[in-house]
Amino acid sequence: MPRLINWILFGVYALTVISVLAASLISPAFRAVAYAPVRELILPPPEPITINLLYSTEKEAWLEEVIPLFEASELTVDGRSVVVSAKKMGSREMYLAVLNGEETPDLISPASSLQIAILQDQSPDVFGRPIVNMADTASCRSLLRTPLVVVAWKERAEALWGPSLSGDLWKRLHDVVVNPQGWDVYGHPEWGYVKFGQTNPLTSNSGFQAILLMTYAYLGKTDGLTSADILSNDGYQKWFLDLQRAIPEFGNSSGTYMKDMVAFGPSKYDMIVVYESAAIEQAANAIGRYGELHVYYPPTTLWSDHPFCVLNTDWVTSEKARAAQVLLDYLASDPTQRIAMLKYGYRPVVSGVSLHDRGSPFSQYARMGLQAEVPSVALQPPSGAVLNTLLDFWARNVQP
Amino acid sequence: MKKHIQTGLSILVFASLVLSACRAAREAAGSQVTVSIVYGSEKREWLEPLVEQFNNEKHQTPNGATIVVEATPMGSLESIALMLEGQLQPTVWSPASSVYVPVANAEWRKKFGNDLVTGTPNDLALSPVVIAMWKPMAEALGWPDKPLGWADVATLATSNEDWAAYGYPEWGEFKFGHTHPAFSNSGVVSILAGVYAGANKQRDLTLDDIHNPQVAEFVAEVQGTIIFDGSSTAFFAERMFKNGPFYLSAAVLYENLVVAQETKRLAAREILHWTPEQVPIVAIYPKEGTFWANNPYILVNAPWVTDEQKAAAEAFEQFLLDKPQQLKALEVGFRPADTSIPLTSPLDAEHGVDINQPQTILEAPKAEVIQAAQSLWSR
Repeated sequence: MPRLINWILFGVYALTVISVLAASLISPAFRAVAYAPVRELILPPPEPITINLLYSTEKEAWLEEVIPLFEASELTVDGRSVVVSAKKMGSREMYLAVLNGEETPDLISPASSLQIAILQDQSPDVFGRPIVNMADTASCRSLLRTPLVVVAWKERAEALWGPSLSGDLWKRLHDVVVNPQGWDVYGHPEWGYVKFGQTNPLTSNSGFQAILLMTYAYLGKTDGLTSADILSNDGYQKWFLDLQRAIPEFGNSSGTYMKDMVAFGPSKYDMIVVYESAAIEQAANAIGRYGELHVYYPPTTLWSDHPFCVLNTDWVTSEKARAAQVLLDYLASDPTQRIAMLKYGYRPVVSGVSLHDRGSPFSQYARMGLQAEVPSVALQPPSGAVLNTLLDFWARNVQP
Repeated sequence: MKKHIQTGLSILVFASLVLSACRAAREAAGSQVTVSIVYGSEKREWLEPLVEQFNNEKHQTPNGATIVVEATPMGSLESIALMLEGQLQPTVWSPASSVYVPVANAEWRKKFGNDLVTGTPNDLALSPVVIAMWKPMAEALGWPDKPLGWADVATLATSNEDWAAYGYPEWGEFKFGHTHPAFSNSGVVSILAGVYAGANKQRDLTLDDIHNPQVAEFVAEVQGTIIFDGSSTAFFAERMFKNGPFYLSAAVLYENLVVAQETKRLAAREILHWTPEQVPIVAIYPKEGTFWANNPYILVNAPWVTDEQKAAAEAFEQFLLDKPQQLKALEVGFRPADTSIPLTSPLDAEHGVDINQPQTILEAPKAEVIQAAQSLWSR
């Protein structure tokens, strides 16, 4: 009798093992509970889930560092590991590539919500519905933050506007860059003409934000920009185009532009509009070179919030969408956010990482004007259609 | 017997197949790709040993081909003219600066329908365009306390006064020179600086400025006094340094050439002791502004460049941008493109330069304005 019970128990055990193994074949979620030596011997390894990510170039260094860490962390979805196929691209180029079908990513991350707003606005024409929605926190999450700032050689900036920026920053800048007498007006003929710069709005988000900032400043608004403001206001158009046409050279990427400012010194750029994070990345290199480089926060600014959005398209399966969420959770974790802040100068989106943490560049380079509390008023970006109107206006009238 | 012959033949056929397979494999593994580079001669001292080092290290493309770099120094504009004529088909063009790129693109479009230079090429090393002058002469003119510029030098060159007016009759006439503007980057920027000085501008140079009779007259007057020599700045500099102050009082060169010359002079002074012939030279940063030699590394957008050559050229570019090579750029007098490298010796007053200069630049004009300025130079 005991022998029979043993046989029955053995039979149940064997049946269970076989069932778990069979279930593991059908669904990798059961793989974890299967007896490991048998599992590894019998079952084929489950196919990993691949997430195709398009991301803006500014965060290349951070993502190149943390994606391998994510893949090594062995996080799984339904028992399947997750790998990331990441491709860098300009923020505008990115949404255009999605709209014209050149790219079919599962997850996109431009530099700011401005590009998401345009994609949200234009995607119904192609896909029959908006494929992104910034307001939907389940599919779109901001993972890094950095404000647009003015970086200038301190001696020159102070000659122009004193120790801190005043409310009429853009007006003053406009008047001096269009003045053929240049720095002579401020008693420094040896500095030549005033060399103010921004990147090309068609290739770089910081340039796009810069022209939006100037537009708002001229119109005296902080929100509610309309296409009519851009297309029907002669005073604005003249003022804006004069300022843009006085820019000697538009950069194609914020990082390279900031690097050039440090490499060539004030002979080439007196002041540029760029991300705070880009300024931090070059802060150590700027020390002892050509004088003192300083970061100024304009009275109003725009934030690059680096949204990561899962696309609402046919090719993004629910499995991929869940895998993307696992990736986003990892990118929003304290250690990953700390890397972004300490090494790359981004402001974290989690409370567990502070700008006052040991080794923070915000403390280290405070003398450069970096401030933990951004004093600028944050502007509300307009709709995607208005943003597109501004870009088109620039492309028609300024594009080099 | 017949069976033995058949077996022997089979073995031979098999062996020959194995041998040929081995050879094919060896050839595939031993294939090489050549990257031909034409570059401005001012960076020869930096590039030549690095090309040799890179070739000796047997770098490979992702496909396993060994990269061989063949680099030829040449006037920056001379090379583009030869490319347009089809006499030169390089993989990479690295002129002294990007100033002439709009003209190169415009000419390339006329001939091939697209741009020669696409994207934003990386800069390899930086150096401002300066007026190199023998130190005693610069001091006689009030340097370093008195800022000097293009207009001052032009006035000196065209005036009837000679060095006697400054208390040095033994130096004779003031002789100013630059390379030929049709062939060399420093030559064309010298002409542009002259036009800017004549138009009393620092930016927004237009065709109207070029056609302004006063500007044309000013340029012609300066041109009449200029000593110009050769198509390449480094070779011109060598001639100036070899022949001394009686050959030329001042010339338009790059800062790195002044540093390199001073490095040699100081080393010779230590070994051979001071001799009167070893006159120091200094860089004058024109007060109106100057141009930068940014030494772009341009992968030419031409049909003769293969994908394998592109990959190989990118590997060599990365090698040049790596820190050890950037440090060598500093050693020979360039300001490195890598901003993590501080601007230290030999970029100092002892070597005739000032890293806090230049204070401003002259704006690079549009293609048609550059070409019109070149046409003012009739020799």
